[in-house]
Amino acid sequence: MEISITVNGRSEALDVPDNALLADVLRERLGLTGTHVGCDTSQCGACVVHMDGAAVKSCTVLAGQANGAEVTTIEGIGNPDNLHPMQAAFRENHALQCGFCTPGMIMSAIDLVQKADGQLDEGDVRDGLEGNLCRCTGYHNIVKAVLAAQDDMKSA
Amino acid sequence: MANETGIGAAVKRKEDARFITGTGRYTDDIGAHGQTYAVFARSPHARAKLNGLDASAALATEGVVAVFTGADLQADGIGDLPCGWTVHSKDGEPMVVPAHPPIAVDKVNYVGEPYAVVIGESLEAAKNGAEALEADFEELPAVVDLASAASADQIHENVPNNQTYDWELGDKAATDAAFAQAHHVSSLEIVNNRLIPNAIEPRAALGEYDAASGLYTLHTTSQNPHLERLVLAAFVQIAPEARLRVISPDVGGGFGSKIFVYAEETAVIWAAGKLRRPVKWRAERSESFLADAHGRDHVTKAELALAEDGTFLGLRVKTLANMGAYLSTFASSVPTYLYGTLMAGQYKTPAIYVEVQSLFTNTAPVDAYRGAGRPEATYVVERIVETAAREMGIDAAELRRRNFIAPSDFPYETPVALTYDTGDYEASLAKALEHADYAGFGARKAASEAAGKKRGIGFSCYIEACGLAPSQVAISLGAGVGLFEVGEVRVDVTGSVTVVTGSHSHGQSHETTFAQIISEKLGVPFENVTVLHGDTGRSDYALGTYGSRSLAVGGSALIKAIDKIIAKGKKIAAHMLEAQEEQVDFADGTFTVADSNQSLTFPEVAFAAYVPANYPLEELEPGLSEKAFYDPPNFTYPAGAHICEVEIDPATGVVDITSFVAVDDFGHIVNPMIVEGQVHGGLAQGIGQALLEHGVYDETGQLVSGSYMDYTMPRADDLPSFTVDTTVTPCTHNPLGVKGCGEAGAIGSTAAVMNAVTNALGVASVPMPATPETVWRAAQA
Amino acid sequence: MEQSGEYTVSASRERVWEALNDPEVLERCVEGCRSMTVTGEGEFEAVVAAKVGPVKATFTAAIELQDVVAPESYRLQVGVKGGAAGFAKGSAAVQLAECSRDETRLTYHIEGSIGGKLAQIGSRLVQAAARKMAASFFERFAVDIGRSQGV
Ligand code: FES
Ligand code: FES
Repeated sequence: MEISITVNGRSEALDVPDNALLADVLRERLGLTGTHVGCDTSQCGACVVHMDGAAVKSCTVLAGQANGAEVTTIEGIGNPDNLHPMQAAFRENHALQCGFCTPGMIMSAIDLVQKADGQLDEGDVRDGLEGNLCRCTGYHNIVKAVLAAQDDMKSA
Repeated sequence: MANETGIGAAVKRKEDARFITGTGRYTDDIGAHGQTYAVFARSPHARAKLNGLDASAALATEGVVAVFTGADLQADGIGDLPCGWTVHSKDGEPMVVPAHPPIAVDKVNYVGEPYAVVIGESLEAAKNGAEALEADFEELPAVVDLASAASADQIHENVPNNQTYDWELGDKAATDAAFAQAHHVSSLEIVNNRLIPNAIEPRAALGEYDAASGLYTLHTTSQNPHLERLVLAAFVQIAPEARLRVISPDVGGGFGSKIFVYAEETAVIWAAGKLRRPVKWRAERSESFLADAHGRDHVTKAELALAEDGTFLGLRVKTLANMGAYLSTFASSVPTYLYGTLMAGQYKTPAIYVEVQSLFTNTAPVDAYRGAGRPEATYVVERIVETAAREMGIDAAELRRRNFIAPSDFPYETPVALTYDTGDYEASLAKALEHADYAGFGARKAASEAAGKKRGIGFSCYIEACGLAPSQVAISLGAGVGLFEVGEVRVDVTGSVTVVTGSHSHGQSHETTFAQIISEKLGVPFENVTVLHGDTGRSDYALGTYGSRSLAVGGSALIKAIDKIIAKGKKIAAHMLEAQEEQVDFADGTFTVADSNQSLTFPEVAFAAYVPANYPLEELEPGLSEKAFYDPPNFTYPAGAHICEVEIDPATGVVDITSFVAVDDFGHIVNPMIVEGQVHGGLAQGIGQALLEHGVYDETGQLVSGSYMDYTMPRADDLPSFTVDTTVTPCTHNPLGVKGCGEAGAIGSTAAVMNAVTNALGVASVPMPATPETVWRAAQA
Repeated sequence: MEQSGEYTVSASRERVWEALNDPEVLERCVEGCRSMTVTGEGEFEAVVAAKVGPVKATFTAAIELQDVVAPESYRLQVGVKGGAAGFAKGSAAVQLAECSRDETRLTYHIEGSIGGKLAQIGSRLVQAAARKMAASFFERFAVDIGRSQGV
């Protein structure tokens, strides 16, 4: 099927199989390998991207469902010279080790902060990131990073 | 002036720039022109004869390029997957090793064992091909239960009683004598639950063959590419090492499970050569559950003999260790030399006797998982010590203190073959007790009780042997490889530095810490240092990353290379400054002549080495690039005290960790931020084992905890924030004084949690994982 | 896995027995059944598309009738292969009791086990899936038998 999606601000017209997953289209067709695939039951969150402003697990979204949508991946939120506050906070707080969960974690965390009405506390962040697995960090520093980033995101 | 990017500084990581922007390069991110895709057909049976395989429909499937069976690999001279450590039984006989073809030939022995690989033009074609394979299995009864495995059906023709070895360590007679005069004996039956490692990046491989040069290149998710290459060359017989390059690019966590040489990358690199086309494979998570080596899985009986004042007299341990269906790469060493040798813990127990019987079952192979043997040992020692304290009515901290090896006792030779070089166990415990506010525990417990809750506190004073390993010791005990490390310092013409190390980083942050060492020792700006790792084409043969060895062994090799650089630099500087070599000093990146104002910067000397105008070419080779191998004289012995406090709601059985304190002694620390992170991650895995994780096979050998729906990974809302601190007794025998920090969290924490849970419930033991249901049942009893 | 159930069918025991031995009736009543062919005396092969939780596949079932006591009882020995999805095997003991001239009580007891992906991912779901399949079968069976009697 023919789809057109806007990915990180660039519009793309693609011909994809009906059963193609958004995660695979991003990785294989568009070369955006920052979006990772860590499971086959939609439970690790390594593949989280934003679709029309909301976090989605791109391994569970058909590319066809993304037709006409605006998709933002980890590659689209900042670059080394101009990091998104969440990216900066992850680095500042050592919230990553192997880095494999990191793109999904950052995309989920941004969504969490954006959707929050009011200040998130530690418990909110832990609950809010419950859909993202990290095997390396024990979450301690991820939680710290998200709490730190929410202030920066508001003042940004 | 302290170097802000030197040793001891909490420098932000170099690695992060790519990982936070999505530009890391993991194996599955790499593609090759014209690549094909591999899909493995896996046994649905735990044990069966494979009477035939009809691949005709698979081969007729659109897009299928080839179907290869175990017989195809054998016919091509491909060898078995070896086990690299020969353990000897009590009777002196070497362990019994069953054949382990990468792809099953005429029988399968665990669910998930590959019996064919289908190569397709696309992943979908390969999957369709695999679906069309018709395998004729004749099911046989599966051996699943470890406790009865020795008397069950024989799995391998050459392995009677399903036993690979029956090993012992320590002095049996002395231990029996100690028990004979004991005032009190505590005993405990312990099951160390099977874990599934679950690095978040699934294993993957991309095999390529270049017909023009005859060179094979394998990109794979390995913690030790050289070992991978050695095994694929020398044992599996893919090609000589010189024609095989193994690259581990960014790797998304390993925890031991990516040390081993597996069937999949073996088949992928072989098939690439056969087909003369690149072959790519990436595990689906369901495959990872089935086919990654699992961890732990022991059944143990432990007994501790004590004198009236609580002095430990003797420890007796009998363990059954599950090997799974075959011997994985280092499986045999885990429940023996990485387990039995740690039974002294932090204590002066004078007599120890350990017996370990390792058995085969029709389950996935079991091998090293974060801590590897040492968490199991710590669990035994710290659970039985806690049990003894309760039975004898001695405060659990006090009983430990009475038996600690004192700082004045070092070097201390244990009755189980190790010599601890240094430590101060009392100091770690004291600091941990303070952080945990042990004094206030009674009041907190009373408050919990008033609210209808149960509160408990648990200790774990662990020790580990890290920095694997003195090669000759390891080889004399059965290791098939040396365990040194290599470090290379290439000073560039302009004075920037490229480090090449054999240690691979898959989360450990070598690119940062190794650069800190260069920055400290050579005065080169941190940003001018690049660390290369994970490529047999770049570094000399070395052994890779596991056993918390990178800094202690790899870092020491680097120091040796740095020393050579400085020595040569002094010679060059002496020549240029017309001074005696002995007069030249090097500090903070500057060569100075003593008692003079003459000096040269490091880049000036580097430049002279490469543009040798004013240079003693007759005595000295040009260039400034040095390499060193380092073989450690002893293990390192990180140790520490973990204290866990829990509150349990008896109505629901939910265990809430209200505080977790870890005070560890890792010797000197290069980057405290990174060390804390390593501890956090280890704690999460140790707590996960205690409360959540369990690899379960049903009685027919089906893995029923084979997805994230049934295998409970610790998630953010399952864990508390941790209190992490350190004490320091520098390692006495390596140049950095470091001990290693990668596994401590996973080694110490499990026992602390379970001691706290049993303390809260007032019961002798609760099986792991202490899920709400298990705890609720225990609370009712 | 074990499961039992009981249904009352509005037809004579002979009629129910006949229908239970008629591959065409069975083909119509098994949800997702693509084909049901007789492969020998008291032997059938069925191809069924089924879904257990996230595992969806086409299963091939070899069915053998054993311990046949017409028109009272038999045992179905079933071996199901689902390729990459795994396998199932087991037996179903079926008993027919006459309630009245045109009412028959059918009881069944299934014992079985599953393997491969089905067990790995679907073990918690398989009981429910089997119950659902059984319910759907007897619902259709009752309707089918009623219809054929009407003719
Ligand atoms: S890949 Fe695991 S949730 Fe999407
Ligand atoms: S940083 Fe490795 S999984 Fe999160």
